[in-house]
Amino acid sequence: MATSDENAHGSADGGGPRTDLKLVALLETIKRRGRVWEDLAAQYGVTNPDPPWKVALDATCDLLAGDSLVLPTARVVPGSCALPGVQRRAEEDDLSATIYADVPFPERQLLALAHSMIKHGLLDEEELARRVKLVHERLNSA
Amino acid sequence: MSNKPHEHKPAPMVDEVSDFEALEIAVRELAIEKGLFSAEDHRRWTEYVHSLGPLPAARLVAKAWLDPDYKKLAVTDGVKASLAVGVDWINSPPTGFGTPSDYCNLRVLEDTPKLKHVVVCTLCSCYPRPILGQSPEWYRTPNYRRRLVRWPRQVLAEFGLQLPPDVEIRVADSNQKTRYMVLPVRPAGTEGWTEDQLAAIVTRDCLIGVAMPKPGVTTNIKRPVHPAVHPIHHDH
Amino acid sequence: MSKSQHDRTHHAKKATRKGDPQCFKGEAGPAKFKVGDRVRIKDLPDIFYTRCQIYTRGATGTVVALVYESPAPEDEAWDNTDKPEWFYSVKFRQKDLWPEYHDVYANDTLETEFSERWLEKA
Repeated sequence: MATSDENAHGSADGGGPRTDLKLVALLETIKRRGRVWEDLAAQYGVTNPDPPWKVALDATCDLLAGDSLVLPTARVVPGSCALPGVQRRAEEDDLSATIYADVPFPERQLLALAHSMIKHGLLDEEELARRVKLVHERLNSA
Repeated sequence: MSNKPHEHKPAPMVDEVSDFEALEIAVRELAIEKGLFSAEDHRRWTEYVHSLGPLPAARLVAKAWLDPDYKKLAVTDGVKASLAVGVDWINSPPTGFGTPSDYCNLRVLEDTPKLKHVVVCTLCSCYPRPILGQSPEWYRTPNYRRRLVRWPRQVLAEFGLQLPPDVEIRVADSNQKTRYMVLPVRPAGTEGWTEDQLAAIVTRDCLIGVAMPKPGVTTNIKRPVHPAVHPIHHDH
Repeated sequence: MSKSQHDRTHHAKKATRKGDPQCFKGEAGPAKFKVGDRVRIKDLPDIFYTRCQIYTRGATGTVVALVYESPAPEDEAWDNTDKPEWFYSVKFRQKDLWPEYHDVYANDTLETEFSERWLEKA
């Protein structure tokens, strides 16, 4: 069976909603202003390849996926998991190729997660912006 | 000149809070407050994920090289063989039945001089985390996932691995519940080595299949992620 | 209790200390194919996300292992009970997957898994 160039890549392409690529203002601000681990580690001479929050991020992604990684989005029982793994990864791929393409990993994964959660109504952008500010203040108030 | 022997320099630390660090915390806190998951679950998962790394897989390979019976077990029952290197696919994850992205079906793919395996997950970068730790970034990119299945020799060449045509390169695409790791061929020059010495040369890249173990090589390639030469067409 | 809560508890009870896919062992009934069978990958319509890659559709390969039993990820929405299927590991010659794959590397292969519904005898 001849495979055209369109289908030449190995990913599954059956159905599924398109990723919403409209920019999220809060995330654009963070993207523009935030200091990535690559730079921070270099500046402070820290050799860890990953930022300290990477593991927590992965745990969040796992927990949101619940038992969904194998189920297609439409088959996931609503409420059984917040953000199916296949869907989150497909959106992360799309976002990483487009609006977050110039952000290094794992900052890119984090932005993509926040983006997906906002677009799917799991988080509210305003509320998230307020909480980011609060967290900053809390962590800097030592 | 003050000469303070044994002066202990504290390990360098990043001394500022980045926006990304704050974002991760904010996302997590709100998710917990909205009941998407519990703080307790998150703590346990973080501890679990934190505990994972490639050393058990390297030791599995070293053990297999030294013990033909263990090698046979590894190839026929990866989950059972994992127990010998301290990895319990079923019981040690926080769920008690495997994790949602890793499941409990490890298959150990045995290379021979005429057969080289290399692993990918084209769909979303599934990876044998419980025994190999977190996947490297390049493994997760569409660049790798989409190109390896179709142009494996080109991609392997980018990793510095070129094999003659009479060697079968077998790409294993872990698109369902099985997770793969590679059991490479034991290299020459390792005669009489201990399990520790052998494990040290079985790098993560060797376990994925993009590198072959060599005496003296104990680190992974720092591979810059290139944009795909062959274009990736998005699904429209 | 909502259905979703019920489903999650059910899976946990079924799978705890057994593992997934081990917990579905014995539920798929007799396997349609055996090791060594030549099988063709059906091009079933994709309504949702599927885990059967497009690049394998229509290709013919050889069953190399019956790997486990499990619910198929693409169960129709109206199935009330997940009916597990046999999953097979199928090996293809790369030349049979990609039209331009070099004859020089005719030995190269690719192995991946399919649930039974995706396979027909070749």
